[in-house]
Amino acid sequence: MTAAAAPSRFRRPRRDRGGDDTGVSARRWFTPWLLIAPGGLWLLVFFIIPLFSLGRLSLENGGLSNYSMVISDNSTVIIRTFVYATISTIAAIIIGYPLAYVIATKGGKYKNLLLALVVLPFFVTYLVRTLSWKILLFDGGPVVSILHSLGILSESQGILGSPFAVVAALTYNFLPFMVLPIYVSLEKLDRRLLDAAADLYSSPARAFRKITLPLSLPGLFAGTLLTFIPAAGDFVNSELLGSERTVMIGNIIEKNFGKEFFRPELSALSFMLMAIILIGVIIYARLLGTEEIA
Amino acid sequence: MSNSAQNLTSRRRFLGLGGLALGGLAVGPTLLAACGSDSSGSSNSNNGGITMLNWPLYIEGDEPSTSPTLKGFTNSTGIKVAYKNSIDGNESFNTKYQATLENGKGIGADIIVLTSWNAAAYIGANLVQPFDIAAFPNKKNVISRLANPSWDPGRASSIPWAVGQTGLAYWPDKVGGKITDVNTIFDPKFKGKVTVLDELRDTVGLTMLGMGNNPSTGTVSQMLAAVDKIGKARDAGQFKKVTGNSYTEDLALGDTWIAVAWSGDIAQLQADKPGLEWVIPSQGGMLWVDNAMIPVGAKNVEGANKFLNYIYDPAVAGPLYESISYIPPVTGATQYMTATAQASPFIVPPATPPLFEFDVVSADVAEEISRAFVAATEQ
Repeated sequence: MTAAAAPSRFRRPRRDRGGDDTGVSARRWFTPWLLIAPGGLWLLVFFIIPLFSLGRLSLENGGLSNYSMVISDNSTVIIRTFVYATISTIAAIIIGYPLAYVIATKGGKYKNLLLALVVLPFFVTYLVRTLSWKILLFDGGPVVSILHSLGILSESQGILGSPFAVVAALTYNFLPFMVLPIYVSLEKLDRRLLDAAADLYSSPARAFRKITLPLSLPGLFAGTLLTFIPAAGDFVNSELLGSERTVMIGNIIEKNFGKEFFRPELSALSFMLMAIILIGVIIYARLLGTEEIA
Repeated sequence: MSNSAQNLTSRRRFLGLGGLALGGLAVGPTLLAACGSDSSGSSNSNNGGITMLNWPLYIEGDEPSTSPTLKGFTNSTGIKVAYKNSIDGNESFNTKYQATLENGKGIGADIIVLTSWNAAAYIGANLVQPFDIAAFPNKKNVISRLANPSWDPGRASSIPWAVGQTGLAYWPDKVGGKITDVNTIFDPKFKGKVTVLDELRDTVGLTMLGMGNNPSTGTVSQMLAAVDKIGKARDAGQFKKVTGNSYTEDLALGDTWIAVAWSGDIAQLQADKPGLEWVIPSQGGMLWVDNAMIPVGAKNVEGANKFLNYIYDPAVAGPLYESISYIPPVTGATQYMTATAQASPFIVPPATPPLFEFDVVSADVAEEISRAFVAATEQ
């Protein structure tokens, strides 16, 4: 059934293009533009124009030297930010992929319920979710006391304020963004390919490596972007759960953008962040070979 | 068939969600601007009344409309007050409103409240207008130590609304007794258990006091030396955080043992946590003043003067400042307070140790110190 539906989707437009008169073709030509107009206009006004003015601002006062200055002044913070974002993205893959896999393949009639559970934390505001970690992890709190009594942490050690707390919270807060796209790509996977692999004496592990994993790469790719990019720009987790040793780029921008004389440098820092993410994404896309998305 | 259709919708729905999230990211900055224009729009509906923008917790209760002070003013003059707790920082206020005021346009407010260093800049740039003594005779009631700042001689166009202290808050059971020395925040014994404020005037001021310098009259090099000391301590891991308002959370949980703290916060925290101690260190503490001013383009200048005149009546100021737990800037106001309030160190601080207001330095010096402070505390 599925296989039969798919080719017809591809065939139909080709047939349409063949037989049209001029009136219809004019309308046909017009329609897509009309459909993207609201979104395009929105992005122009609220994305392209602010981005442009931010770019101009980043060159004020010092010109390009703003960029070299923010890099040398903030090198530790920049490296730390990307290390945190990378670790939390990898952790989200390790936790999220098996979760999405089980829901997609073994979920059965509970599929929707399980998906709802993944999304459930989003019904509580981001801020409250993160603040509640504070109550969970503080020095006199339940988690630290248990770890103390088990001897995993020494009496003087805590969790709040440590890089671990920040990275764990980043992972937690963006995990659904990893699970959902992977789920979508695993869910639409044609099971008969796996049956065929089994018929041809492939082991399940090999079938996973050769069929399931490659076919779920677009989902994995989308999930990585949706986790990594907001994690790299985040400041809430470090502000609420971190310490002076966990400052991220977002914290510096958030704290100082009000100071007028800092704005050019902070704009430069924002552009740096964007450029590094963009380069990272391009490299990642090349490595994963998902040209269709990148 | 149904299977593939379902895939299609769920994917589409997902992509839609992604778009929504991206849209939200892009719209963030413009939301800020929208908030700014919001208050100017709504003031037009306030015919004959006045609009005041103030900081949170600077009037009785959570809901300004129930404030006895505002009600009393409206009852005695017939002027309604649209009071908004919308100022959450000097810098964010400047971002929202300064450009509009510089163009000589109103911002839909008749009274604004800014901290001295920022108020000085507004007066210097003529963004506010002088008071009308005929409508504001009670101006003479301002306490003498705040009556004649260098940046606004004779209080011609600014008047203190709230006066607060910056000192230390700490847990005696955790630090092992009483604290009196401001340099305790640099004591390696409490490494990682101290938070200091990211407001440089508070943290740098207290550090200067600990170094034997006067923050009201100190030189730039003394200020920079204090910044340097803070930076070195931070690099050594002395401070759990250099932060703003959120310091109260870790302090309330007990993860922070000693905090450079604002009096108003500790007055409230102590209600829940009686074990928490507040101290003005023996070297002295910092004093900060938020000043009410009438911006250019105000629609009801007379009403604004009348309102400030009403506040500066000691019989009105007494209960108001008792309720919000700040030092009353109005002479004689303490007579109208209860004995409990008169004994509160938050409302009537003892004469010693002394309190210092950080020098209102020129814009260039402010930038120099601010840059040094950011470099020392954030990278």
